Amino acid sequence: MINFKWIKLFLVFLFAFVLQTTVGDWLQIFGVGPDFIVILIVAIAIKYGPATGCFWGFLAGFTQDIYAPVEWLGAHTIAMTIVGFLVGQLEERFLTLNLPAKMAVLAIGFFVSDMIYFLLTGLQKDVVTNLFFSKTLPECAYTVIVGAVVFYLSAGKAGKKRSV
Amino acid sequence: MFRAFRFIVDLFTQRHGIIAFVFFLLVGLLMRQAPGVVKENIVSSILGTVLYPAQMAISSLDAYRSVVAENEQLKQENARLRQETYYASEGLQELTRLHALVRFDDKWGYPIVTARVVGHNPGRFLTTIVINRGTHHGVKENMPVFSMNGLVGKVTKVSYGYSRVQLLVDPNLKLSVLERRTRVVGFLESVDGHMLMAMVPTHAGVKAGDTLITSGLGGIFPKGIPVGTVKSVGQADLDVMRQMYVVPFQEFSTLEEVFVMEKEPDWIIRELLDD
Repeated sequence: MINFKWIKLFLVFLFAFVLQTTVGDWLQIFGVGPDFIVILIVAIAIKYGPATGCFWGFLAGFTQDIYAPVEWLGAHTIAMTIVGFLVGQLEERFLTLNLPAKMAVLAIGFFVSDMIYFLLTGLQKDVVTNLFFSKTLPECAYTVIVGAVVFYLSAGKAGKKRSV
Repeated sequence: MFRAFRFIVDLFTQRHGIIAFVFFLLVGLLMRQAPGVVKENIVSSILGTVLYPAQMAISSLDAYRSVVAENEQLKQENARLRQETYYASEGLQELTRLHALVRFDDKWGYPIVTARVVGHNPGRFLTTIVINRGTHHGVKENMPVFSMNGLVGKVTKVSYGYSRVQLLVDPNLKLSVLERRTRVVGFLESVDGHMLMAMVPTHAGVKAGDTLITSGLGGIFPKGIPVGTVKSVGQADLDVMRQMYVVPFQEFSTLEEVFVMEKEPDWIIRELLDD
């Protein structure tokens, strides 16, 4: 029997990567753009739990690592796996998160991911500080705004489904 | 197979996903700690087997779209280039014809007006053509018209920018001709709108293959313009005359440019025409 959940997730995963590599560039403001991959992993983890979250986190991080410098291979993978697993603890089966809560989770997930990544890549402290203020903070804000729209739209769609 | 997959999924999802987390974390850490060569191998193998083909598949969709657009553009360009080639080829042919004219020209000392054939009579037989030169260019009625191959006809009607030319095959046009070899004079007319027939005295001994030129006796055409060759010689109604079928040098259906000789009819002919 075909598990449509995995096919659907795979298509969404592909879609997120296409968005990241196309629309993500167009949406950049002063070099700062949203991170659709983090939004995807947080959304999956909230919806399907830690196992699915860390699996797709692993896959997403690994894909990102492939395109990153080879000496940093594994950094994204570990970071996104951890984020997927941690956010998955807030699975919707057990908890009901409203939109601000999801935005907060997304923001935390983004910070955690970036911090682990910085830690694993072994960047110097001043570089990390600079990156934190010039990239992490504004990108986190931008990602949370875009993520809010995504969560809102997906929640609306789910609500419609339930009402039918 | 499915059971094995199910077992792995269950294993990974039980205990709140901790096993899956530990597994993926370990894989990540192993990759992180792997030597540079191994890392490069991992990256190159993944890129070569999964990502590049996937990217190629995605980009081929975009490439297909661009190919469609490019195809459309190339079609337009092809049409334009074909048109240009056609014009260039036409120009080259025209140049060749004009070169021939330059050699043909100026035997008679009259100015020549070059004209393009822009129309012809709509009837079954081609007897009249329209040229794009008129009074504005110095063309007048009864001026001889010829091509680089030979005589075409004469101007019968003139307007400001256009003229009508009566072809040799028009039954209403009769002219005096001279056989080049025997120097015998006869007259030429169209039999039924598409065949030319000449009448010459029997004693002249004209035979098939002989050439006819204008005699200059009619007062309209100057002497010496090639008219055609004798195709066959037959008996006329009168024993003293021979009837010859003539093939004109110029094929009228393929006329594109003609030359109008600015020669007005001789005064005696003009008087006769005026009468």
